[in-house]
Amino acid sequence: MSRRTLVVGEVRQGHLADVSLEAAGRAIELTEPTAVVGFVAGSGAEAAAGEFARVGIADVRWTDAGSGSDASAGRIAPTVAALAREIEADLVIVGGTTFGRDLAGALAIRWDAVSATGVTDVRREAGAIHVRRPVFGGRATETRRLAGPRVVLALRPHAFAVPSVTPTTVRTSGFAFVEPAPSWREAKLLALEPAAAGGGPALADASIVVSGGRGVRAPENFRLVEELAASLGAAVGASRAVTDAGWRPGTFQVGQTGKAVSPQLYIAVGISGAIQHLVGMVSSRVIVAINSDPSAPIFRVADYGIVGDLFQIVPALTAEIRRVRGP
Amino acid sequence: MEIVVCVKPVPEAETRLRVAADGARLDAEGVKFVLAGYDESAVEQALLLKEAVAGSTVHAIALGPAPRTEEVLRAAVALGCDKASWIEVPSGGSDDPLDAARILAAAIRGLPHDLVLCGKQAGDDESGLVAGALAEALGVPGFGYVVDLRWDAARSRFTFHRAVESGQESWECPGPIVIGLQQAWNDPRTAKLPAILKSRKATITKIAASGAAASVATPEKFELPAPRTGAKMIEYRTPQEAAEKLVRILREDAKVFP
Repeated sequence: MSRRTLVVGEVRQGHLADVSLEAAGRAIELTEPTAVVGFVAGSGAEAAAGEFARVGIADVRWTDAGSGSDASAGRIAPTVAALAREIEADLVIVGGTTFGRDLAGALAIRWDAVSATGVTDVRREAGAIHVRRPVFGGRATETRRLAGPRVVLALRPHAFAVPSVTPTTVRTSGFAFVEPAPSWREAKLLALEPAAAGGGPALADASIVVSGGRGVRAPENFRLVEELAASLGAAVGASRAVTDAGWRPGTFQVGQTGKAVSPQLYIAVGISGAIQHLVGMVSSRVIVAINSDPSAPIFRVADYGIVGDLFQIVPALTAEIRRVRGP
Repeated sequence: MEIVVCVKPVPEAETRLRVAADGARLDAEGVKFVLAGYDESAVEQALLLKEAVAGSTVHAIALGPAPRTEEVLRAAVALGCDKASWIEVPSGGSDDPLDAARILAAAIRGLPHDLVLCGKQAGDDESGLVAGALAEALGVPGFGYVVDLRWDAARSRFTFHRAVESGQESWECPGPIVIGLQQAWNDPRTAKLPAILKSRKATITKIAASGAAASVATPEKFELPAPRTGAKMIEYRTPQEAAEKLVRILREDAKVFP
């Protein structure tokens, strides 16, 4: 008899994050809906718990992580481990965000499990979990066999679809918070400044990313990149040349020393394609490059290329996207 | 302040990757190993804190086979680390990051530590598991994806930011803590020749590996993507035509938006 799978959800702006629904969907495919238990922690957990119904999970537990304290991954890892033991889970799945990856490490120690992060494919076969994951910045893929008996997986965001199912009736119940090591009492979250001025999605989360590079020539020209991104509902990224020059803050940087992204669509505008940038975006599903230099290395990794003057091409592209998508 | 910085040797970013004969892992033959990029940032952070807090010591620690592990420890010493410890494990042994975290934790327990620093992830396996796992194993708070780490001497606390999906968090926490650093320095220090020469004679303390469970993670396959054939270039006469053609392709062929 197969044991149960625990999906640890993440609450953002009061709702269950998409990555959590992706994790839930994959968990259900690996077992069956009734063998999957959902969990969320932190402020807004009780309300967000019910949203697991959207993907067909009926049994959801939540904890407020001690009133007034944050639900950072290390702080709630002991609670997740206790719940995994209580429901006799052999697998915990979480979205591979900053939270999910921090949690995977702490939980694997606390629950004495083996773990893999950045997972893009997972199957259960002959009593073991087999995972595929990109390594070396997407320049290679490895497959590992995780024999368990306890496994923690952090799934790469957007590698799996949110399933569309008939919502279930969900039963939510509180689960007692388990105190972490005493020294956690002194760890204080002082503030959270919301990201992404302009209302676009966060870079690491976005399903479409539009990035600008040195080819935009001046900080004020970066609005061409931002307008194209806005027309697509995309996040804005930048190459290291742009962030080093101070045209945009370091949080915009895509690449080896910035963020690694793997959206459905990546549009590189005026980016030549240094290896340091490529390792941060090469695993995107579809890559488009717009550059005036036909020999730019970015065209070697792109699926579609336009050689030309970005100051003419990008506004035309923005206008065309607005036209086909409607106002 | 006693700072322990964990470093890992990884193949140089420009390495041409090849699959080993068993098909399950990277062929490391002839590969040049260097200090992992984020670990280099962690070393820079450790040295900046040392400069800011009088009487601090930076102790670099690494786990791995000869000779690459010893080489990156000497590189850390050449950059300015005061001490270096090497937990030697045989080449071709477990490459499981949780085994690494357990072994590192067992060694760090025996060292004075107010702050344990590591890069947020290594450029080879990219697991990002070690900081969280180390913290839990040491029983102290741990945080990944940290930038702007500082020591507030008046209040005896570390302050730092974390770049998370929903924004930027501000934190404070006294030591000991474990930090997985995401910081990218525009201008990290490089080792000077006299320091490099001196580091060749520096004492590298050997620590015996202990604390790992028998690993249950086995590499099965290591694959390189089919070489990209290069972009399909869009031919056009006017920018409008280029835009129309690209949008049509993205909607109909690539199906990336409706």
